Amino acid sequence: MYIILVYDISLEMNGARVLNRVFKICKKYLTHIQKSVFEGEITPAKLKKLEQELKEYVRDDLDSVLIFKNSNKRWLTKEYIGIDSSDVLSNFF
Amino acid sequence: MESYYLYSSGTLIRKDNVVRMETADGRKKDLKIEMTRDLYLFGEVTTNTKCLSYLSEMKIPVHFFNYYGYYTGTFYPREKNVSGKLLVEQVSHSVEEEKRITLAQKFVEGATANNLRNLQYYRRRGKEVGGQISSIEAVRKRIYRTTEIDELMGIEGNIHQIYYSAWETILNNQVEFKARVRRPPDNMVNSLLSYLNMLTYSACLSEIYVSQLNPTISYLHSNSERRFSLALDISEIFKPLIVDRLIFSLINKKIISEKDFEKGSMGNYLKQNAQQKVLRQFDERLNKTIRHRELKRNVSYRRLMRLECYKLIKHLMHDKDYEPFRIWW
Repeated sequence: MYIILVYDISLEMNGARVLNRVFKICKKYLTHIQKSVFEGEITPAKLKKLEQELKEYVRDDLDSVLIFKNSNKRWLTKEYIGIDSSDVLSNFF
Repeated sequence: MESYYLYSSGTLIRKDNVVRMETADGRKKDLKIEMTRDLYLFGEVTTNTKCLSYLSEMKIPVHFFNYYGYYTGTFYPREKNVSGKLLVEQVSHSVEEEKRITLAQKFVEGATANNLRNLQYYRRRGKEVGGQISSIEAVRKRIYRTTEIDELMGIEGNIHQIYYSAWETILNNQVEFKARVRRPPDNMVNSLLSYLNMLTYSACLSEIYVSQLNPTISYLHSNSERRFSLALDISEIFKPLIVDRLIFSLINKKIISEKDFEKGSMGNYLKQNAQQKVLRQFDERLNKTIRHRELKRNVSYRRLMRLECYKLIKHLMHDKDYEPFRIWW
């Protein structure tokens, strides 16, 4: 499936550390496309694993992580305004 | 799971628990380690053991290619899926002449069936390849009559020769292609063949890695040293589907032409930007899906390679006789 993950981590109560952890965890599974936005193809099992890892750090009362799921990338159209970052998602470098 | 194709030069390091490729001019790319199947390195890359240990831990094979896109080797992480029982069976099928030839014949038969499929496709499209089809059909009958590997290899050679003789017709006589020439390839079709065969071989190896099979023990090709010859056996079946069809479309649709080649040291090599063009098409092709008749779900061409490994395992474990993959569409 194809997902878009966005997070909002509060900087209160040592939030910088949480932010850093969340960022590093997401990076292992998805492509970082904007400041707090990740996207990419993922399997249901890997998604579970990602959620599990995030739950260890995300504070229920302060932070929020949103995951938009799409069963197939084909049903997602994307447009760029400003900088075209389609290159970031490519597996060629 | 995804493959990464890195043709920039730079360093490959472990950073923040992902692998990062950094170029001299400061561009960088983070590879999502959890979603990576394998890496293909085409540029000049510096790396360290810290990174390699991590890749090994994450079970990611790394395929290396030289400047001309030639296969140099594979960093094959320590096997995690080992099975002593299967290894014993794999070896016994290789040393016992009778068991070995049965499997080898299947590989040749599969490859031939797929070659024919390609020719039949073009015959329907009005190309004059009927002669080659009937010649191959005639030689094909001799596959199961062979008793020795060398004899079988001879037949395989014959079939390929006939098959390749149809190529100029398929390619609308636009390019010269008389025979398969390697080391170095002498014209554009041979260059493309060498390049794509190597990519297919690496892709097969990545799939073998995930299975319990040992890649050094093979059946059709000899168990030579320093080589993962099982990947050669399995890729034989998939070359008509992946490599040959890709070449036909690259040339017939004029995506690749003589301009994309560089002549040097007696050979004919793909230019850097053309290599990338071919690579993208190759990756696209591997991800192409087809509805599988028996599994009743969509599988990618790459997945078919994995299924082939599983079928082979079943044969080796005396579970179900191996039947090679044949293009069914």
